[in-house]
Amino acid sequence: MSEERSATQAKLTSREEFRFLTDLVLKHSTGEHTFVALQDVYSGTTRFANNQIVQNVNVHRVSLAVTVAFGQQHGTASTTDLTGGAVRETVRRAEEIAKVAPPDPEYLPPVGPQSYIQRLSSRPETVRAGPDRRLAYAREAIELCKTDNLRAAGIVSSSVATVGVAASTGLFAYEERTGARFSLTAMGENSTGWASNEHRSIDRLGVTERTRVAIEKAKRSTDPKEFPAGRYTVILEPAAVAGLMTWLMWMLDAKSYDKGTSPFREKLGERILDQRLTLKNRPEHADLLGSGFTGEGLPSNDFGWIDAGVLTQLDYDRFTAKEHQVEVIPTLEAPCLSGNGSTVPSVEELVRSTQRGILVTNFWYLRIVNPTDLTLTGMTRDGTFLIEDGQVTTGLRNFRFHESPLQALNQIEAFTVPMEASSAETGKLLVPALKIRDFNFSSVTRF
Amino acid sequence: MNEAEMSRTDWNELAELALKHIRAAGAEYGDIRILDSTTQIVHGEDRRIAAIRDMRDSGFGVRALYHGAWGFAASSVMSLEEIPRVTELAVGIAKGSALLATERVQLAGEPVYVETVVTPQRVNPFTVPLEEKAKLLLETMEKLHAHAGVARSNATLWARRDLKLFASTEGSKINFNLLAVHGDIEATAVHDGRFASRGFNTPHLRTGYELITDANFLAEAPRVAAQAVEKVKAPPVEAGQYDLILDPEHLSLTIHESCGHPSELDRALGYEANYAGTSFLTPDKLGTFRYGSSHVNLVADNTEPETLAATGYDDDGVACQKWDIIREGIFVGYCTNREVALKIGQHRSRGSNRADGWSSVPIVRIANIGLAPGQAKLEDMIADVKRGIYIEGHGSFSIDQQRYNFQFGGDAFWLIENGKRAHMLRDVIYHGITPEFWGNCDAVADATHRQRYGFITCGKGQPSQSGWMTHAASHARIRKVSVIRGEAGP
Repeated sequence: MSEERSATQAKLTSREEFRFLTDLVLKHSTGEHTFVALQDVYSGTTRFANNQIVQNVNVHRVSLAVTVAFGQQHGTASTTDLTGGAVRETVRRAEEIAKVAPPDPEYLPPVGPQSYIQRLSSRPETVRAGPDRRLAYAREAIELCKTDNLRAAGIVSSSVATVGVAASTGLFAYEERTGARFSLTAMGENSTGWASNEHRSIDRLGVTERTRVAIEKAKRSTDPKEFPAGRYTVILEPAAVAGLMTWLMWMLDAKSYDKGTSPFREKLGERILDQRLTLKNRPEHADLLGSGFTGEGLPSNDFGWIDAGVLTQLDYDRFTAKEHQVEVIPTLEAPCLSGNGSTVPSVEELVRSTQRGILVTNFWYLRIVNPTDLTLTGMTRDGTFLIEDGQVTTGLRNFRFHESPLQALNQIEAFTVPMEASSAETGKLLVPALKIRDFNFSSVTRF
Repeated sequence: MNEAEMSRTDWNELAELALKHIRAAGAEYGDIRILDSTTQIVHGEDRRIAAIRDMRDSGFGVRALYHGAWGFAASSVMSLEEIPRVTELAVGIAKGSALLATERVQLAGEPVYVETVVTPQRVNPFTVPLEEKAKLLLETMEKLHAHAGVARSNATLWARRDLKLFASTEGSKINFNLLAVHGDIEATAVHDGRFASRGFNTPHLRTGYELITDANFLAEAPRVAAQAVEKVKAPPVEAGQYDLILDPEHLSLTIHESCGHPSELDRALGYEANYAGTSFLTPDKLGTFRYGSSHVNLVADNTEPETLAATGYDDDGVACQKWDIIREGIFVGYCTNREVALKIGQHRSRGSNRADGWSSVPIVRIANIGLAPGQAKLEDMIADVKRGIYIEGHGSFSIDQQRYNFQFGGDAFWLIENGKRAHMLRDVIYHGITPEFWGNCDAVADATHRQRYGFITCGKGQPSQSGWMTHAASHARIRKVSVIRGEAGP
């Protein structure tokens, strides 16, 4: 198959087609307000394990959701069938729901026309990529692992989507978004190493470089030793930091804050993290997954969320924002955590500065233990190492941690510049690697 | 849509066209699944109906096996023009996969079936008026908030209907008309700067709206609210070693994570190494490894009516079955599909290959694995505990990728002192190593205590899919479990 669009490649809904569909919906809707949302996605994933392809898929899915409101009564129906009859039927179903739905005191009509900044949400090389490109990357990762007598398991995926929202208020937004992902676990007899990346551009996955990182980790953690649970100085690589930050960001809901069911209760405007840490949304950053607008058609923006350790923003739904007279709702689809002050250039430098500690590649199965103080648990995974006298000396069996990021991110000793981070449990972030003292490992597992 | 309407959509014609193209392309095997799924959600929060959604999701997925390698392609465009594009793409992808194959995929044999599977129901959930559903949730939330100290509430009704056609190049043609229903309510109480939630829910089951009616949320709401307040005001657990009595709903999660996942053969063979993980239950342990005490009998049963994985046939077209995973504490069985069964010398799949929709490729999934009832009475099990904790429902959960080291919370906890339930506790977290934990099981309650709970959000696969399965259990007693307090340390 060619890298160029071929006869087997799906055709996605264009801007003009989305406008046509919007007009069709609005023409048939009798609602006071009508909102339309389009997701048309063509995606492919090549999955490999034990050094061969085990799954290779391409999927085209288009979905149109219609919300109709009569006063404060609203209902939503969706369909994957974009024929005229199915779209009209979807409008009718949304109307039927809205007519019998109890009035919702928090319902707000769709927003009106908005101004959007064009984001780098789509890259032509990813649009063009198909199964051949994915296969080439998979082959490269597998061959490199085989050279070192390791087994490769991982994915190469790419997608292109057209996304649109429109409403009877005159709202209309449409953009193309691409995504690509590479993730590799290199497996030895009793060790694993992992590396991953996600990017708008399939050219920026860094397959060769990241494969070598995963291989090196697998080789260095051969015959891992068991270390007792306890509090240790740790160096968390960016993927592990992203895991902690992702849970922190998920819990920033403003309504929960108002109701007293947030771990940030009474902490808005207060210092919650080390005063050198700042969290901003950076939708313009080429290495993040910025987009032009949210699912409600609000423009993405570059607000700061945590400034020098102080919590300055909450995640508002439109109703709560109105209650608080918040006029511009901050978005957080492209998070960047950075450290102010002297940074260390690399993870290797953090290791060199550490007398005794533990290097963590990634966390796995992170979950909330206590939502009041944001205590989390999770396991280390795919590369946990002992550091002695500034050097990695051996691989270690994996630990379970039991720690709140609100505590751990106040025990920072050093940090790098922000680096790309993404894992199976996070989106794409830019975060530094962190050196943290007294990190709580509560138990050890068998490998 | 009823069966007569299904036939009007010309699914048979679409399926025949796909199979014709697969055969013409030279593939040794192929199948097509055509689905039309409807999901209805009525969701309430904080005394209001926040959303009512009716979601239709239809499309088809084509699998092709070419020179021992898989290709899969899917589309939501259901037309005679789209079938050749998607089918050729699936075969083309399979040819690409074959270039890197070191071992040819072979499929365990299975008879050809021409069947129709229909979920029995008394009341179709999609015919119950939305006004009635919304009224039930609003009244339930009012009852939750009527209790002083309750700050927030949630209440949700969920129903799903799947119309599906599976057709393979081997000649199987199976029609499905499946239902599933679920409802849940939850109260959150605030006290002294803390907050805690208590819930009540039906299982997810393949049945009708009678499941919701019989659950009687209005009657349960005052108890749920009172226990939310009692929980947030309860003393924190003192860390240490306790005997645990685990209720069936709680056990559904423990079984799922510590037995279900490690018994998936694809994990044990490394297929999931990059995401969901591998398994400590490796094939060399089959038939000999002591997983638990002799009280522990974990049985996979995809034939029990109403359970989520009991769909008659899986997405390989293999008939649902019943088999042992753990027999008197010994590991004796895996969940398999037609591809992996042969790799450990088993000549028939256990019928555990399922996809979460038309756009997903089927993968090995946990079966309906349940803890077989024992002989004990719950009262006697509690009476024989000096210092223990009785745990109900689901809370925090986490487990390592090989499924050894786990940590669970719960929805509600009671201290047991000298054989009696004393009072509620908060922040209870227990952890352990799977075979040691099940090795300390010294009693399982009898069949009168048996209940069924399950999951529709079991994450596995890349792209990630949501698996559905039911786990039945009676109460179990586990001795000498390490318990810690679930809060940030000093």
